Amino acid sequence: MSVQKRIAIYGKGGIGKSSTASNVAAACADEGYTVMIIGCDPKSDSSITLLGGKRIPTILDLLREEKDVKEEDVVFTGYNGVKCVEVGGPEPGIGCAGRGIIVAIQTLKKISKTLNEMDLIIYDVPGDIVCGGFVAPIRKGLVKEAYVLTSGEYMPLYAANNICRGLAKINTPLSGIICNSRSVSREKEIVTKFASEIGSDLMAFIPKEQIVQDCERDGFSVMEKAPDSSIAQVYRDLAKAIMQRDTSVMPVALDDERLRELTR
Amino acid sequence: MDKNITIIHPRPSSIVAALYTLRDLNVDVAVLHGPPGCSFKHARLLEEDGIHVVTTALDENGFVFGGHDALVNVLHKVNEMFKPKLVGVVGTCASMIIGEEMHEPVMEADLDVPVIEVEVHAGYRNNTKGVIVALESALNVGIIDKTEFERQRFLLEEATNVELRHGAASREYLAPSRGDVKYKVAQRIIELLKEGKRGLVIMNAKKETGYMFADITVAINEVAEQLGKADNIVNMANIDEKLGLPRVRHHAECIANDLKEKGVVIHENIGGLDEYPIAGNTVDQLIKDKYIDFDFAVISGVPHAIPMDHISNMELISVTNGPRQVLPLKEMGHEHVLVEIDLHPKTLGVNHIVESEFGATLREVAKESL
Repeated sequence: MSVQKRIAIYGKGGIGKSSTASNVAAACADEGYTVMIIGCDPKSDSSITLLGGKRIPTILDLLREEKDVKEEDVVFTGYNGVKCVEVGGPEPGIGCAGRGIIVAIQTLKKISKTLNEMDLIIYDVPGDIVCGGFVAPIRKGLVKEAYVLTSGEYMPLYAANNICRGLAKINTPLSGIICNSRSVSREKEIVTKFASEIGSDLMAFIPKEQIVQDCERDGFSVMEKAPDSSIAQVYRDLAKAIMQRDTSVMPVALDDERLRELTR
Repeated sequence: MDKNITIIHPRPSSIVAALYTLRDLNVDVAVLHGPPGCSFKHARLLEEDGIHVVTTALDENGFVFGGHDALVNVLHKVNEMFKPKLVGVVGTCASMIIGEEMHEPVMEADLDVPVIEVEVHAGYRNNTKGVIVALESALNVGIIDKTEFERQRFLLEEATNVELRHGAASREYLAPSRGDVKYKVAQRIIELLKEGKRGLVIMNAKKETGYMFADITVAINEVAEQLGKADNIVNMANIDEKLGLPRVRHHAECIANDLKEKGVVIHENIGGLDEYPIAGNTVDQLIKDKYIDFDFAVISGVPHAIPMDHISNMELISVTNGPRQVLPLKEMGHEHVLVEIDLHPKTLGVNHIVESEFGATLREVAKESL
């Protein structure tokens, strides 16, 4: 087996991290890779489109019930063999979701053999890194490289820039920028330039297409429901690029003024 | 004095300060909302002082999912177990960091007795924050009145200032020390008495610690009496029975009764047992007016709260229970500094003066030299 790839996809909340993560996971599985997707958002919706729209019990659901958690209780097989795990979380506004991620990740590490057998593990992390717990996968040494998802709009780029600053601070290399288009003007140019100026590359430009939404509404990934669509090919290309990627950089965040200038 | 220094030696926290305040307010049960090991040493000591201390025993699951139900359950449990008349609930670092709201579970538990809620953690710069929050809450539920609250707040501000000036908060790091050898200092006091020197015996104690510091006053008076020098001694003590929270007034009354029984006259009552941060000013004025020409002073309790203005020409012997207080006292000009190690645990749950190590040493040394 080749060296296991362990990646995390970061980006502003609502920018399409889960859609991208699940489609990349599905595309990699189609290529014959063994893949696991670990949803770290308390909303626990990262893997839903790989499981035909069904939710799975989360690690924290079981820990809450003080059950002895076993791998088969929390690792589920979805589309084309993709292993799906959801961390889960406390009720909104109660307890500590950050601590929850730490505890769940430690539990998973302890109980899961599958974790070590994967070619690719994708951590789908929450958009806002509000506390230390949200970077636990990185801090605990589980993530080796990070991808940042953004559109060409100002606020998602602002968030992406901040994330790059954070990654550098915690000594985590950036493997690339992915643009999930919102169809704004000069989008590809802006994001390409942003990627270049922080020292990285634009890995993919995912056009905004209704078919992604349609598939999600039915509870599926594009790869499963519309494998012949043009956007499925974009995900396929991105999956290949990620699997082949062997370079990464310590990103250098732009200052606020330069970022604004870039988006004008 | 730099107020912005980061103090790195261990110090009692706001949580502990809140627990002691609840004790002074005579709560029957204090509930620590957090992990079972939080503030363990002091929680245990307080049990010896007659209050029940329990925790909500928050564990990893509690941190992640919150401790609302745990707090409601524990409140019901203690209500059944101890039939309390007054209950306190104190936050901890863990529960406060995860944003636990204590008021809601207290309302839900709906005990038919007042509950003092103290939302504190241990991260405040001054641990008096725990006392202030406890008192604010006590004021809100009608356990103390506004006048007493304002009085306490003033005393706490002064206590903080005393610690910043010459106490454990006066520098980044203070090494603990056991102070001077008690035997030698006892000999010196006997020597001074034999020489006919006049001495002030000042007890400026913090609350229940007075039970042991008072023994030093007693011992010196006993020895002076044996040497026929009783008239050379003037005693001062902060044992006003009318000042302070209920339990503190009770301590003052107990200590005053014991002193009386032992034939020790307190010539100057310098304030309440909670007035140690300000009694120093009273002492300073008294010395200036009446005792300026005295030769030596033995100051116990919180000696660093006594201004040096009118005692700097005297030979100073201080007795503290703070091992980190030795160096600041030496630097202030106290020639002999003694530490009563582990004084506090021995003064909890008692109603009478307890023997101090220095008092015992002095008595023994006196036997040999008479």
